[in-house]
Order: sequence, then structure tokens, then C-alpha cells
Amino acid sequence: MSDSRHYLDNDEKSVVIVMTSGPSQRHRCATPFYIGAIMASMDADVKIFFTMEGVRLCQKGVPEQLTALDGGKTIIEFMRDAKAAGVRFYMCRPAMPGYEIEVDDVIPEVDEMSSGGELADLILSSDKALFF
Amino acid sequence: MECNGCEFRSELYYDADYQIWVRAEEDGMLAVGMTDISQSIAGKILHVRVRKPGTRRPAGKPVATIESGKWAGPVPNLFDCSIVDGNITVLEDPSLLNRQPYMSWIARVAPEGTVEQALSVLVTGDVAWAGYQARCRRDGIQCKRLPA
Repeated sequence: MSDSRHYLDNDEKSVVIVMTSGPSQRHRCATPFYIGAIMASMDADVKIFFTMEGVRLCQKGVPEQLTALDGGKTIIEFMRDAKAAGVRFYMCRPAMPGYEIEVDDVIPEVDEMSSGGELADLILSSDKALFF
Repeated sequence: MECNGCEFRSELYYDADYQIWVRAEEDGMLAVGMTDISQSIAGKILHVRVRKPGTRRPAGKPVATIESGKWAGPVPNLFDCSIVDGNITVLEDPSLLNRQPYMSWIARVAPEGTVEQALSVLVTGDVAWAGYQARCRRDGIQCKRLPA
């Protein structure tokens, strides 16, 4: 095994992860936070933007009860790990009415409520955009 | 000394969340490792990657990344330093962090100021022991060390 596998030498990058998956696809709901935490730990400026069914992960009571695998860690724990590593959370305000989510229902881990236009800005201005 | 089974060593220096320990070396460098608390939270560690030797790491920029099957995150850094080297034994066998967290340093760093300046942002001794116990109890952390 070469030493290069053990050492980090990446430039600082910006990454936006667009999280469209929600409780109906729970197996897709842990890895984006895990990879976000890794990238933030590698000096990347990481933002996770919740839209479509992904906004349900920002609804109080949902990520606390949801696991990607039976018996696994809850999604809120993965989300908090990502936050602790420096990831910022953005929630799509226009998606909220469709899922009957009120502002008071949103978990405190969310940093900002944003518009679709702000998501477009993030995608266009980031070095990388990932969709889950 | 231990709390909820998590070992504590009073001679080491710690960050306020007791994620990392720091030890002054005889050659003026500082060794950085992860605490029994951190390895218990992470679970079995699968990968460790250290910033390339020679890289400057200002306060707030991680020294390394850690991955287990259920947790990923940084090895935080609280003072301005440069990476000297990574512990190749740990990099090749990261589970050492789960078995011997205080014998297994992750990286050695050179402080940009004096050693005393670097250590001044950390806690040690009785103050650290009190904080360590408080963290264990507040978060209900139970030691999950792998057998040596």
C-alpha cells in the first residue's frame, strides 16, 4: 500500500450535496451525511441542500426515528456528525408546503431556509454538485 | 483513572470536548491522538488519513480524517502548526486506535509558536479530569475498546 493513500493533499473545494431522498428511501439517507462529513474534514466547504422529499429529514420527529438500516444509527446522528465536521444545512422553503411542514416543525440543525434560486446559485458557484 | 470505562491520562493535554489528546515530545514536536471517548463514539476505525507532511494547519483546520463504519469526521486541531509525519503503524492498522488509543499517536506536528503557546489552549491534569468525566456522564458514553 503506497503512502499516498494515507496522506491528504487536496485543495480546498466547495461542494453542494442536493438531498432529494427522504423516508420513502431510507437506505439513501445516511451516506450523504457521512461523505459530507469526510469532505468537510478534508477542508471542503460543504453545504447540504434539502429539497423534494429530502425536506422531511428536516422535520422534527422524522430523522430521530429513521435509520438507513434496521438497528442502525439514526439519521439525526449522521446529520449531527456532519454538522460537527463543519457541514451547513439549507432547506428548500418552496418544498415545505407540499409536505405540510411549518417553520416551527424544522429541526434546529438547519442553518438557513432558502429559495430555489439560491439552490441554483449554489450549484453554479460550487466546484462540485452531488445529488442523492 | 477511568469514567464509564473510558481511560483518562492526567499527563496528557486535551481539547475542551475531549476528542483529542496532545503530548509534548522531547524533540519539541507535539504528538496528537484520539481519546478513549472518541474511539468509543467512532466504533471500529477503518481508515485514517493525515494531512501531507509539511502542510501548514492553522487552528481550526483538521490534522487528519477518521472513518469507521458508522462515523466520519476530523481529528481537530486547536493551534497553528505544520504536519511533521503520520504514524505509519496506525495508518496501516487503524484499529490500533480502538485498542490502544493512548499508545497510538496519529500525527506529529510542529507548533508555529512555542510548545507552551500551543499547549496553553488545551486542558490537562485535574481540570481535564473533571471535564472528561462530565463529558462521559453528560453524553452517556460507555467505553467500547477493542481487546488489545
